[in-house]
Amino acid sequence: MDKPIISGDTITIPSSLDHLADVDLFIESALREYGTPQVLIPDIAISVSELVNNAVMHGNKQSRDKMVTVRISRANNAVLIAVTDQGTGFDPGEIQNPIDNENLLKAVGRGIFIVRSLMDTVDIVPGPNGTTITIGKAIA
Amino acid sequence: MKLSDRIQDGVVILEPKGKIMGGPDASLLHDTLYDYIKKDRRKVVVDLGQVDWMNSSGLGILIAGYTTLRNNEGMLKLANVTDKIQSLLTITKLVQVFEAFDSVDDAVRSFK
Repeated sequence: MDKPIISGDTITIPSSLDHLADVDLFIESALREYGTPQVLIPDIAISVSELVNNAVMHGNKQSRDKMVTVRISRANNAVLIAVTDQGTGFDPGEIQNPIDNENLLKAVGRGIFIVRSLMDTVDIVPGPNGTTITIGKAIA
Repeated sequence: MKLSDRIQDGVVILEPKGKIMGGPDASLLHDTLYDYIKKDRRKVVVDLGQVDWMNSSGLGILIAGYTTLRNNEGMLKLANVTDKIQSLLTITKLVQVFEAFDSVDDAVRSFK
């Protein structure tokens, strides 16, 4: 598979950063359909882009044989977005704090921190066959 | 993302437009910035006024450019930082790193 596949509330992409824009288009369109206030859309879009970046680069190591799946749903007054890779998992506890002085000028390492700052909930489920990170944001 | 670049009073002005989310747009910004650095341009202003939003990939490029220029007696500064990007800079404590100005002209003048 070398192109994104959209099926209902889910988009699946090959592990390439070339498809970030496809995911963004899908997510922002869905958010608008849910009636998400415009002021909230960038924070959610940024968070999804961070998770997809990580899934492609770190989870799937840009392997074209592996996919990243992004599923969006609405639960009461919140939107939930689950990003799943097919990697071997990671330990969230090993992520360094990007706002520590020694890390401030590092070019990488801010993704999860930004997601945690912008979203209401972040649930990380690592596993040997893939990791799913589900983020939630109240939209009403 | 689209990217324009120009020189104003000896200062490189980079003008990204759209979203900087990683992948091809991040590469374009990175490559353009480093092309100028290789040509020994040491004063850079990134005009963020037309950037809808950026993620950590965009921030990473700005930081890498800032560090490279600073280590070579140069400087990278920001102009027209939108509220959304200002929020991101605050969250990540990068407000302590980057000098930001309300306009490109102000940023260019600061190099004198």
